[in-house]
Amino acid sequence: MDLKDQLTTISESIGHLLPEIMLIASLIITLILGLILKKNKQALLHGVALATYVVSIFLVIKTWPQQPTSLFGGMLRLDDFSSFFKILFLSGGFLTVVISKQEKEDTSSEYILLISAIVLGSCLLSMSMNFVMVLLSLELISLSSYVLAGFGFDKKSSEGSLKYFLFGTAATACMIYGISLIYGLAGTLDFSSDQFLNTLIETKSPLLLVGSLLTLAGFLFKITAVPFHLWAPDVYESAPTPVVAFLSVVPKLAGIVILVKVVLAIQLFGQSGFPWQSIVAVISMLSILVGNLSALAQTNPKRMLAYSSVAQSGFLLIGLAVLGIEGIHFLMFYSVAFLIMNFLVFSVLNQYESSLVADSVSSFTGLGRLSFFPAFSMLIGMIALTGLPPTAGFTAKLLIFSSLWSTYQETQSGILLALFVIGLINTVVSLFFYLKIPYFLFMKEPVVDTRPIKNSYSSNLLHGILVILLIYLFLQPGVLMGWINRITFVL
Amino acid sequence: MSLLSYLIFIPILAALLAILIPARLPNSFRVLSLTISIIQVIILILIVNQYTFGSGFQLIEKIPWITLELGTWGILKAEYFVALDGLSSPMVALSVGIMLVATISSWTIDKNQKGYFILLLILNGAIIGSFCALDFLLFYVFFEFMLLPMYFLIGIWGGPKREYASIKFFLYTLLGSILILLVFVGLYLSVKTPDSNEQVVHTFNVLHMQDSDNLIPGSLLSLNSDFYLGPYSFRLWAFLLLFIGFIIKLPAVPFHTWLPDAHVEAPTPISVILAALLLKFGGYGLLRFAYPIFPDGAIHFSWLVGFIGLVSIIYGALNAMASRDLKRLIAYSSVSHMGFVLLGIASSTVEGITGAVYQMFSHGIISAMLFLIAGVLYDRTHDRLIENYSGLATKMKAYTAFVLIAFFASMGLPGFAGFMGEVMIFFGAFQSQSVNGLVPAWMAITATLGLLLGAAYYLWTIQRMFYGTYSVRSSLMDLTDLDRREFIMLLPLALAALIFGILPQLLLNYINPFATDFTSTWFSFEKLLTP
Repeated sequence: MDLKDQLTTISESIGHLLPEIMLIASLIITLILGLILKKNKQALLHGVALATYVVSIFLVIKTWPQQPTSLFGGMLRLDDFSSFFKILFLSGGFLTVVISKQEKEDTSSEYILLISAIVLGSCLLSMSMNFVMVLLSLELISLSSYVLAGFGFDKKSSEGSLKYFLFGTAATACMIYGISLIYGLAGTLDFSSDQFLNTLIETKSPLLLVGSLLTLAGFLFKITAVPFHLWAPDVYESAPTPVVAFLSVVPKLAGIVILVKVVLAIQLFGQSGFPWQSIVAVISMLSILVGNLSALAQTNPKRMLAYSSVAQSGFLLIGLAVLGIEGIHFLMFYSVAFLIMNFLVFSVLNQYESSLVADSVSSFTGLGRLSFFPAFSMLIGMIALTGLPPTAGFTAKLLIFSSLWSTYQETQSGILLALFVIGLINTVVSLFFYLKIPYFLFMKEPVVDTRPIKNSYSSNLLHGILVILLIYLFLQPGVLMGWINRITFVL
Repeated sequence: MSLLSYLIFIPILAALLAILIPARLPNSFRVLSLTISIIQVIILILIVNQYTFGSGFQLIEKIPWITLELGTWGILKAEYFVALDGLSSPMVALSVGIMLVATISSWTIDKNQKGYFILLLILNGAIIGSFCALDFLLFYVFFEFMLLPMYFLIGIWGGPKREYASIKFFLYTLLGSILILLVFVGLYLSVKTPDSNEQVVHTFNVLHMQDSDNLIPGSLLSLNSDFYLGPYSFRLWAFLLLFIGFIIKLPAVPFHTWLPDAHVEAPTPISVILAALLLKFGGYGLLRFAYPIFPDGAIHFSWLVGFIGLVSIIYGALNAMASRDLKRLIAYSSVSHMGFVLLGIASSTVEGITGAVYQMFSHGIISAMLFLIAGVLYDRTHDRLIENYSGLATKMKAYTAFVLIAFFASMGLPGFAGFMGEVMIFFGAFQSQSVNGLVPAWMAITATLGLLLGAAYYLWTIQRMFYGTYSVRSSLMDLTDLDRREFIMLLPLALAALIFGILPQLLLNYINPFATDFTSTWFSFEKLLTP
């Protein structure tokens, strides 16, 4: 390809990246505004960020439905699958900025900047089709997350951030090594290409297994799956709550997206000699088990939610373990429910933290009687995370389990049956920690000096919308599912 | 919208309306709640008018609710499906009546009335909805909506140990409902609608679940499923899970320990609802879901069902006799009476099933009365210990009359509603050995001990509390007799206990077609015994 053709491809491709260009533009504007504006006049920054997200969501939706289009010579590919997740990332960014604005007045421009950078990285990651692009987008997410995790600016926060950084770089190093092995075997970095498929089908070398596992390590780190979850409790405990809400959803879903793509690629349409289904199932099983059992012992709400987030990754991975289009559809439904319920829970937590030090579940003692609505929202969020009716959390789990069951019936694989049983049992186990906070909120008598928390109408409004969404998606899942069903997934 | 939907959704809409009423108008909430209950009574009368005796479902309302295309996995389908038959109609009638009484009884609540009455209204709609729902998902939603308000009603408006009692109630019932949920996920995976073509339609319709022709061959819960866990197939496990899930609600020994605590701590109206209505979901669930969907499990475990029933009868009665707290005594007597329901269900004869439903209905009336009676005393003295009272008959004449009616009715004296249920259960249980061999005769014989013990603890209580010289430990003043409001609450219940004892046909007209259907079609042995 000569230079002229290359330039043509690039200029044609750029037209498809309008949402990302919007994000980059807003990054630059935020940076400049941050320099110009006085410290206490940051409302404009929020405005710019929120407007960017809304416009970008609109731009993504406008291209719907999209024929899969290869961009930049196979580096990226735009399709409905990635667009769907891009909408989720942008909504996640939107919600984070809204939540950050609720309780704190003085968020700096860097804060907004980093959030937008992670959203940008996630959008690019969901479109990546080439290991180099995967690495670049993943690092954009990672580096921004390390900094963001330290935004509490105290000792604890720095410690969390440093731990995150050390774990993260180790995981990235593993991933790069893994990619280099795969590259050596396949001769290409484009994992959707025919060459990748054809060369690797011939390969029987165990190096492929080693390389693939090392590559997956980087993604599993992002989604806090066992055994790469160790950083989560410390980071979740020390980072500011809106940041935790954000980190527990957007980078995680981005990791899930790329995991789906890469696992389907190295599984070589079922022609791989290695048992990828069992490997994913085992990771999912371990995440569910370790996450739930560790969460049982926690008293710090954010540490508890960190382990819960590990378990939720396990449930998301069930959709991947199915290795089929239904599983991926249900995973998408689960992702939407997960986004809503996680933001709901963390946002309520954030509201509480504005009035009290919520470092233990007992800090919530009796508050449900004094300020009902936040406590009620918390309850609904927790019920949804457990996966009980009448919330979308239930529908999501039901769908994921039903696809797991039908796959089990086809394959008769014992590991899938074990995953099914363990998943169901753990749903019951998870009740005991998810309902801990509501228990303290409602069932304990308020202590003498307990005061109602600061009433915030905007928070209540946001929580009300999220609660209604959760219940609506339970009552009418067809609306979302109909939309998801039209998405075809091509590797 | 059919009349049933009005019955279900009017209280729920009223609850939403009540949210908008400012809390500084406390009176408006109880007036609203009472109005709704009266409207429901009127609707119930209209429903009774429309209902014709006979088998099958009536007043059917079926609206598509969720239809999800799930690719190769098929279609998920849930409906808003409510209807009445001979099992649910007595229960719905009971619910409407008891909710009215409970609302009147709630008049004395003065702590956070807004919250209380909103929860009461939601509970009202959810209870009736659960009794009418014929779609498992719909049932489950109503069922959960019942659990949460109850948890708060006990936990916030209860007695001194309410936290402990409410969390215990919550954990037990939640465990029960999770077990039910597990089975229901299994059923959803295994049942298709009869009109499924190439795309399998997975349904939550209970009537489809009851027909074994709709089981997908080779699925988790298919008739000859090869899925075994330990000694039993998944089908038998599913029956066991449902059985445990529902007997936690019933409650039967050994899952009954939440009941005395919850009753003792709950405020009087909530005790009334708990005993009269919520316990009925145990029996109702077995008759509506567990038995018809898993008749093979029911046959396999009939001995266990009967035995747990028997143990509950005897153990409940012995505990009642040993109780020093009046409310605890009544709670244990409920365990004992619900044991009879289990025995009747285990026998699976027409008489046994009819008796079980009758017993559930009559226990609803009588236990409501018993808890109101305990509440009357508690309101006056805040003391429920039996030994602290004696000679009440001399000062509280009307009260004593009602107590005697309630106690005798609960004992199962002929002429009262309790008698009809128990006697038919015994007919069924004694017959069972010769008809279908499900319940051995010795269980039926031993169960008669329960009647004796019942008479013993009630008569002993009457002797201790009402006869002898008047003395009340916790009050120096003479206790006043019933006031007008208390009289209004107790009178209709006493009349009902008498009417349904003397004219059982009023109710049997409804129940009998259901019981014959239940034993002949749903529970046909031929279909299951032939491979």
